[in-house]
Amino acid sequence: MRVSTSYIFDQNLTAMLNQQSELGKTQLQVSTGKRILKPSDDPAGSVQILNLQREFSVTEQYLANADKAENKQAIEEGSLQSVNDILQRVRELAVQGLNDTNTQNDRTAIATEMNQLNEQLLSLANTRDSNGDYLFSGFNSNTQPYQTINGAYQGDEGQRNIKVGSGVLVETNDPGNAVFEAAHVSTEISKTVTSGVSNSNISIINIDGGEGLSIPLTFTYDTSVTPAVYIVDDNNGHIENIPYSATDSGLNVDLSTLNSAYPKMTVQLTGSTPVNTDQFTIQTTTTTQSMFKTIGDFAAALTSNQVGANNGPNNGDFLTNISESMNTVLDTQAKVGSRLNSIENQREINDGISFNMEKTLSEVQDLDYAEAISRLTRQTTSLQAAQQSFVKVQGLSLFNFL
Amino acid sequence: MSMLNIGTSALLTTQGALSTTSHNIGNVNTEGYNRQRVEQGTRLPNFDGGQYFGSGVAVTSVERLFNSFLSEQVRTFTSQEGQLSTFSTFASQVDDLLGSPELSLSTGLQGFFDAVQDVADDPTSIPARQVMLTEADTLANRFNTLDTQLDSYNQQVNLNLDAAVKEVNLLSKGIAELNQVIIEASASTTGSPNDLLDQRDQLINELSAYISVSIIEQDNGAQNVFIGNGQALVVGQSSVDLSIVPNATDVTRSEVGYGPAGINVSTQLTGGTIGGLLSVRQDVIDPARIEIDALAAGMISTVNAQHTVGLTLDGSAGGNFFEPTGTPTPDAGNIRLAIIDPRDIAVAFPISTTTTATNTGTAQLEVNAVDGSDVGFDPLTTLVSDLTFTYDNANKEYIVGYDGNTTTTRIKYDPATDSGKVFDLSALSAPHTNFPGANTPPLTITLAGVPNDTDAFTLSNSTNGGFTSVGDNRNALALAELQVSKTLTAAGLPVSDPAVTDPATRSFGDSYGILVANVATRTHQADVGQKTQQGLLDQTNLRYESVSGVNLDEEAASLIKYQQAYQAASQIITVSNTVFNSLLNAM
Repeated sequence: MRVSTSYIFDQNLTAMLNQQSELGKTQLQVSTGKRILKPSDDPAGSVQILNLQREFSVTEQYLANADKAENKQAIEEGSLQSVNDILQRVRELAVQGLNDTNTQNDRTAIATEMNQLNEQLLSLANTRDSNGDYLFSGFNSNTQPYQTINGAYQGDEGQRNIKVGSGVLVETNDPGNAVFEAAHVSTEISKTVTSGVSNSNISIINIDGGEGLSIPLTFTYDTSVTPAVYIVDDNNGHIENIPYSATDSGLNVDLSTLNSAYPKMTVQLTGSTPVNTDQFTIQTTTTTQSMFKTIGDFAAALTSNQVGANNGPNNGDFLTNISESMNTVLDTQAKVGSRLNSIENQREINDGISFNMEKTLSEVQDLDYAEAISRLTRQTTSLQAAQQSFVKVQGLSLFNFL
Repeated sequence: MSMLNIGTSALLTTQGALSTTSHNIGNVNTEGYNRQRVEQGTRLPNFDGGQYFGSGVAVTSVERLFNSFLSEQVRTFTSQEGQLSTFSTFASQVDDLLGSPELSLSTGLQGFFDAVQDVADDPTSIPARQVMLTEADTLANRFNTLDTQLDSYNQQVNLNLDAAVKEVNLLSKGIAELNQVIIEASASTTGSPNDLLDQRDQLINELSAYISVSIIEQDNGAQNVFIGNGQALVVGQSSVDLSIVPNATDVTRSEVGYGPAGINVSTQLTGGTIGGLLSVRQDVIDPARIEIDALAAGMISTVNAQHTVGLTLDGSAGGNFFEPTGTPTPDAGNIRLAIIDPRDIAVAFPISTTTTATNTGTAQLEVNAVDGSDVGFDPLTTLVSDLTFTYDNANKEYIVGYDGNTTTTRIKYDPATDSGKVFDLSALSAPHTNFPGANTPPLTITLAGVPNDTDAFTLSNSTNGGFTSVGDNRNALALAELQVSKTLTAAGLPVSDPAVTDPATRSFGDSYGILVANVATRTHQADVGQKTQQGLLDQTNLRYESVSGVNLDEEAASLIKYQQAYQAASQIITVSNTVFNSLLNAM
């Protein structure tokens, strides 16, 4: 086929320009390290990149959230550990204070330390985080949860969640009333005696175990039998007799030895003039109360030396109650621990996802340097060849020989 | 004498051939030039003495080597290549715009939702809230910038259309004028006015780079040019002007008008720059604008719907987060923040839960969502009265008290099977009993755990007795969830709008991804198509040039050939002179 002279020119020129633009693109790829320079280079790939980048940065945000959640939980855990330590010390002091060998002065001294510790507990309950938010007031994070020892909880039940993974929310706070308030038992004795005649009384010497009495335990004095007895009835089918006469005043009875169904409780029977049908009822009431009030009440009782046999709060109740408070704190610590665990697990999952995504992202968008460099070399060579051959071919003309 | 005559005729003919060869050489670089060739033939013979004697040579014609079929193919491919090339240029700009990390909505959305999560992490932190506002503002700005950019592409399309139409008018006038000259030239002689024909073909070629044309040749040598569905651009010696007319519904869009009346013929035009401009506007710029506007409107509607149900740091109603919401119609150009005070971000839910202190079971009640879609919804009075749930262990159900309802509402809940179940209180149905009357709490709750008989919960408005739930982050979590949840329909409409009934199939990010994919695919197609057409055009040009193009080597050979012929013819004159002289000397 005959070829026109200008066409040879044009074609060579176009070919060189094309090669230059291809070379330019490869060069840009090499200098940016990216395979896809604009979406149209690879529409499917670029949408995949968009999605991967989105997923990737969502996961990064989850990791950042996990750091914050962990931080908050660490602060809470620290506070709870201190609370726990203080409660241990309070319990030790209580055991010490309940010892009958103490004088009033000893007990006052113990009470002073106990009050001191109670103030510390209160300030721990009012812990704030780095943001100035109260840790233990639920959603009411600007409200001090406990203003005084006897004050009621001012916060609410709100628990903030932080998102640490796709669909994984972790709670980052515990409302104060779930941490610092626990079941509070108080065992009380009510009596019905013939007034002015009878001086009978029953007091509790010791309660062991402190599970309390869910059903009232009644003691009824009966003189119709000889010797006269207190009929003990746990209102659950277990009836026992305790022989008692005027000379027995000060008798200690361990109830659990009478009947194994009875609570482990030692009572003291007093009174020199018991009358038939004198009746005593021992009953436990359970309420929920803050540990500050429980400790405060006990310290007050210690100060006034009112922890003896006939005075409330009695020893068993307090130790029971302080254990209950400690359990509540331990429960919360366990929750915090398990949350920290799940944050850690989720972080590992997210790290894995993040790593995989980065790998995939790199596979989709990053340049294969080996391939690109060899392409660059090839394109450079062929452009040079085109340029050289163009000059050579252009030298060929019949006119050179005319 | 005939020898002298023959010699003269040979000299003249060869001179013609030499000058035509020179003409070819001279025009080797002339755009649109078709090489010419002298056709020569013997002159009529003389009859003498019963024999015919040749009487020399004469030029029969000067021919233009031209293949009209190839020429038409070149025009067709020029038009197609021009269209795709223009399309590709503009589509690449949109492609670059959407793909650039500095302008991409994808990065903007990410920044915004990251900031929302940071607020959810620390709901009372003013710096975190401020960052969220800043990121939201940045996002709105990205929408605005994209809108401005797409708008400027429309302006560029308008300007380019205007320039192209002016050029087309010039070319069609030129063709009409050449038609006239060619008619006159052809009428007076049998020879064809080759260079004029070349010029006209060249103009038509140039025209076909702007728009697809069809040509009809007339007997008198004129060529009529038609565009679109047969609109005549050139008829004989007269041409019809195209003009720019504004779109009937949107004056910012230029359309191509035909004739003095300026009838809009945009939809009928294909090929070339004009076809490319019109199709890139229709297939890339317009859909991108529609998609981005829909995304902006969808974001406004969806984010506002969630923000409205929440309470601000001061306990007032959340209100709108983005503007506008009704008039003007929300789009990417006018989306902006509705709030400026970081305290006004509604991060809290308007509902607080109270677990009755005497509960002995492990049951929990959690509010998952508040539905603010009712007209007249006010988060300050989400509930008209406290909402109480009391467990009835015998029947395994919660008895719900609300608004002094006379008929009892019951939610069947068996902890053995239902723990963790979600209940939409506004749409309870058997086995549960519905709320009587019009007042239905707009809440979705989760019930979990094992309740004991008479265990109870109370839900009340957070604002009761003064708002203190500043640490409540539930609405921020719900806002953050909008990043990954499907909130838009396949058409890009927000399902938060009660008028939209289609199911949600896309998240915001999906919507943007689809837009990027559509533009990228179109651009990629156009790039590939343009390369294909370029290849076809090159091949056709090669064939066309092989017929019509000047080859200097060939011309050099012709030059030598005709030079020798001329020298030979000169010898004829010399010899005839010698012969004549010898005759004279003999006398």
